[in-house]
Amino acid sequence: MEAGGGQMSQCSSSQYNQYIPMQAEIVDIDVESPNTYLISLKLLDDVEFCYAPGQFVMVSVMGLGECPISITSTPTRNMLQLCIRRAGKITNGIMDCMIGDVLGIRGPCGNGFPLDEMKKDIIIAGGGSGFATLRSLINYIVDRRSEFKKVAVAYGARTRQDLYFMQEYKGWQQAGIDVGITVDIGDEKWKGNVGLVTSLLDRFDIYGGSAAICGPSVMINAVAQKLMKERNFDHSDIYVSMERHMKCGVGKCEHCMIGPYHACQDGPVFTYDKLMRLFRNGEG
Amino acid sequence: MEKIHTTCVYCGCGCGLLLHVQDGKIVGTSPSPSHPMSQGRLCIKGWLGAEFVNHPDRLKTPLIRSGERLIKASWDNALETVASRFKDIKERYGPDSLAVLTSAKGTNEENYLLMKLARAGFGTNNVDHVARLCHAPTVAGLSYAFGSGAMTNPISSLSQAEVVLIIGSNTSEQHPLVAFHILRGKSNGAKIIVADPRKTQMADLADIHITPRLGTDIALINCLLNILIQEDLINRDFIAKRTTGFEAVSESVSHYTPEVAEKITGIPAGKLQEVARIFGSANSAAIVYAMGITQHTTGTDNVQALANLVMATGNVGREGTGIYPLRGHQNVQGSCDMGALPDLYCGYQKVIDARQKFETAWGRPLPQKPGLTAMEMMDAAIKGKIKAMLIVGENPVISFPDQEKIIKALKSLDFLAVMDIFPTQTADLADVVLPAASFAEKNGTFTSTERRIQMVRQALEPIGESRQEWEVISSLLSRFGVPADYASAADVMKEIAKLTPSYGGISHDRLGVCGLQWPCPSTDHPGTPVLHVEKFTAGLGKFRPVEHREPAELPDLEYPLLLTTGRSLYHFHTGTMTRRTSLLDREVPAAYVEMNPEDAGALGIRSGQKVIVESRRGQLQMDCRVTPDISQGTIFIPFHFNEACANVLTGQALDPTSKIPELKVTAARIRRAE
Amino acid sequence: MMKALLPRNMLIPFLSKISQKMEVIAPVLIQGTPAFCTWTGQDLALEENPLHPPTEFLLPHKETLFRYVQESGRYTFEEEQAVPRLILGIRPCDLRAANVLDRIFEQPPRDHHYLGRRRATLIAVLNCTKPDDGCLCTQFGSGPEAKDEYDLLITEIGPGYLVEAGSPAGILLLSDNPEFFHDATDAHLAEKSDLMKKASEQIKLHSDISLQKMKDRIKRADWESLEKECFNCGGCTFVCPVCHCFNILDLGIPDGERVRCRDTCILSGFSRLAGGANPRKSPGERMKNWYLDKFEYTPQKTGLAGCVGCGRCQKVCMAEIDRWKLEAVK
Repeated sequence: MEAGGGQMSQCSSSQYNQYIPMQAEIVDIDVESPNTYLISLKLLDDVEFCYAPGQFVMVSVMGLGECPISITSTPTRNMLQLCIRRAGKITNGIMDCMIGDVLGIRGPCGNGFPLDEMKKDIIIAGGGSGFATLRSLINYIVDRRSEFKKVAVAYGARTRQDLYFMQEYKGWQQAGIDVGITVDIGDEKWKGNVGLVTSLLDRFDIYGGSAAICGPSVMINAVAQKLMKERNFDHSDIYVSMERHMKCGVGKCEHCMIGPYHACQDGPVFTYDKLMRLFRNGEG
Repeated sequence: MEKIHTTCVYCGCGCGLLLHVQDGKIVGTSPSPSHPMSQGRLCIKGWLGAEFVNHPDRLKTPLIRSGERLIKASWDNALETVASRFKDIKERYGPDSLAVLTSAKGTNEENYLLMKLARAGFGTNNVDHVARLCHAPTVAGLSYAFGSGAMTNPISSLSQAEVVLIIGSNTSEQHPLVAFHILRGKSNGAKIIVADPRKTQMADLADIHITPRLGTDIALINCLLNILIQEDLINRDFIAKRTTGFEAVSESVSHYTPEVAEKITGIPAGKLQEVARIFGSANSAAIVYAMGITQHTTGTDNVQALANLVMATGNVGREGTGIYPLRGHQNVQGSCDMGALPDLYCGYQKVIDARQKFETAWGRPLPQKPGLTAMEMMDAAIKGKIKAMLIVGENPVISFPDQEKIIKALKSLDFLAVMDIFPTQTADLADVVLPAASFAEKNGTFTSTERRIQMVRQALEPIGESRQEWEVISSLLSRFGVPADYASAADVMKEIAKLTPSYGGISHDRLGVCGLQWPCPSTDHPGTPVLHVEKFTAGLGKFRPVEHREPAELPDLEYPLLLTTGRSLYHFHTGTMTRRTSLLDREVPAAYVEMNPEDAGALGIRSGQKVIVESRRGQLQMDCRVTPDISQGTIFIPFHFNEACANVLTGQALDPTSKIPELKVTAARIRRAE
Repeated sequence: MMKALLPRNMLIPFLSKISQKMEVIAPVLIQGTPAFCTWTGQDLALEENPLHPPTEFLLPHKETLFRYVQESGRYTFEEEQAVPRLILGIRPCDLRAANVLDRIFEQPPRDHHYLGRRRATLIAVLNCTKPDDGCLCTQFGSGPEAKDEYDLLITEIGPGYLVEAGSPAGILLLSDNPEFFHDATDAHLAEKSDLMKKASEQIKLHSDISLQKMKDRIKRADWESLEKECFNCGGCTFVCPVCHCFNILDLGIPDGERVRCRDTCILSGFSRLAGGANPRKSPGERMKNWYLDKFEYTPQKTGLAGCVGCGRCQKVCMAEIDRWKLEAVK
């Protein structure tokens, strides 16, 4: 396991059956966008739930099923938050829940961002709902700001209404993080950038650092290539959080295979050079 | 764990299947390596074939309507209600105000008992089933031409053909095992010709793919025959010794020159000549067809055209030749064999000829006049002539054309009883709903499209309070004073064998794994793989001239596109079983419409966008799939999805002989949904 | 190692005695087809390896992971324990497949369902003295003689069955039931050795397949042409003893069970994301991925080839694709 750093997938409430979830109560719901909620959870079991930015959990609505959701909160703060977007049967089920309802949680799963290996200058680039994954890393950096040097965030959504976490951007800037936001389609109320996420990269004064990217594959490639060509980033320093269909979250069901790797265990964070090698061979 | 050998419930191929049973539940299926047709293979539906059996939606108790709701009831109550309401209505309006639609998914024993119930119990010949919407033209057409409407050869015979012409069949998706045998032949050098408006998988693998305009098959086939006559590639010996009426056909097809046919069908003249020559030069050639031939207002004539072609080339009665109508349901062949038809008793004995035989056997007077066909029943219900219906294992609200009319018809009835395994849109309209056992929960026989009568073996107890249908119908027969004390389904087959010459030698204990292909007239007869070997069932094969006629509904300025309906590999018909199978539902979860990139471009539609499809009868919303695999001017919708039911759009124009509706040609238009 | 000779007519009585204590699973004839089921005294079908692999007893097509019961908005979860049983008649190739599955499910976090069931299963493996035409076990080191751990090893020789114990449980099975066994002599062992050598040679005669050859063929294969022939039946994945992909479903609201069912990577829905994007969009990509998993990834992850040479995929392929040559013919 290379891009490690996070913990191995924990078992859940049953020591013997890693498919049985822990239970977590919904304690708060914030509306991020018309089809996205930010949910805050409190585990019912008296367990210490430790995780690293970039890891995810398998969320259950008993009776409907289970799906993978990135942890959007930072482990440095005492709360567990998930960002849920309406996409299918289970996310719809979660969105229909209310405060006080109980969800199943298994995890943390996956490898997270390898903070020990990453350089201290970091560019974080997110597109669309993938940005929820990166918020964990951003707020972690805010809380441990002195451990990092130049940090920048580039984030794009389709329209202004689709932007997540708008109330947090100022806090990030105040923490000394360069924040660039863009939309594909502007409107009269939008005063900011209109265009691709790659267009935001030009304003940052970061070269040869590490990058954390999450979003549509077209965006991932465009950002990675630009960073490599124009800003001297090495492809082994570019970390991508990959999205794959998942069922077990523990590397057994084979749904999330990317070449020989399981996105749920060897990922979801992969280095760009590893991904390029796989896709060049027609694997993944 | 127990494993039980049975027959798959989905399509007419009739694959052998092992059900794996653990703790009273089916946990898996596997293929039967010793099965003579399926030879250890199964399509994806067969591999996942029994998941729906334990689904929580299964009907578990009888239900009786109370206002808006259907309430749980006892069997006694439910059966008494059905019997008394039917008797009541019969007394007031006469026996012909009653009608029965049997199930092409039910066993032979169940179909036989249902048609006995209709005739001996209710006193009407108003009994029909869904063959009316699929192979009624085959029954009508080939019965006339050959004396028998069934597939002439076993499916495996296709691997021996030098040339296979596939017309109007998406074989690898709808009858995968038939495609398996065809492609085995291809590996041995056989040539495959596919005629289909869509580039299906078979079309892609074929040596020649032609795309005739919808509804022009007669022009195409007549032209091929004409070319063969001109180039003397016909079998004069066979025509002289084995057939009659060739001269009239020779004269009528002479007008279908390649140039004329090109104008009508859109297929280049040179291509028509190439196809004809390949077909005519083969020592053994076979024709495979399905709904693309039958579901037209010229369905019966289309079938006759194909019969003319095989007879003229002597391609009947030998291995590697023949005509292969692909039956959809796993037992629609059986339902026809069992006489679930308004004008025929079991064994295709005519109601007008054989009444006395059955009156003697059943000990009651029987109705004289042939009854109404399925579409005519719906029409009669709207007109108030049919007052009560019993619908078993069929979902007309989704599978019959012009949904609005069907719902109106069923709502017009005074009483509707439905028997099924799952709640359906048709059951939603019923006054009484009876829970039936699934194929895994009963004994009986299915007859596949290659006339193979095979065992269905019980692997589980029927779920909840559901019952094997043959038991339920026996109950109803008794309530109508018709003796029905059968000890088992095997007992019912004994009675069938006595009255049905082609099933004369059939009994459950003879069937094993291989089953028996009818005709099997006596207990020592080994069954009949190839039909019409020395002579046709009717003696001499009958040619009949047929002429091209335009479809009932043509595109015009208002509705410029032609909609054709069909199926997907992953679903079966109205989806009651496949949409309750997790992997199949995941594979194709929702309806879609296929359209050609030129047509899509002209309307500004991109693949994946939501569109509205409209016809003169209604409109639907669904996702659009833009693909070059469908001809320009044509669109395709699979009919599996009740929330976007293709039959909201289709019409009820009928073939005058077989009364099949023209499900394959509907004028339509598309626009982007907002 | 403890060994004994079981005369032919003692096999059924021996099994009858065992079946009083635990479930015995063995191949029997179902309408003339050999298939593994619970043995209830039927004649055994030991000539031919059944088409459907016995790994379905280690990783069932459908099993309950746990039940959930809801009360006042909170859940309790219940699970079942595995029950001991004996599987008789597993061939060496399928035993190797079980070994591969063991290594996959032992990787952390360990799958206790599978491992619990595995531990509760005694295996009496039957050496192949008469291999089938499609068998290729020698090419992958998985047969015809058992190479992996077993409880009992059975080889059919002239006078009956040579039975060798391979574990403490196997030793107990022999020592607890002495009335059925005779002593095994060196001559018996020599006969076994001879039969296994002949069987090996018979297989090697018919094939030049190897792990490396398959790796090369995968690189060279024309997947776009092969995909045109594939019927998407999934048969190859359902019948392969090493294949273990599964789907997880909840059945029942508010109380019910979370079940694990067999899945197949051949279907497009296997890898399709909720938004519709699909990293393996074409059937050819999915077929290639299946092959890579067998011949590249599984060796990397477990040290063992992901193919045991049983030849079943060839027997069920609807398109009759030559699964070793990987050439598109149609």
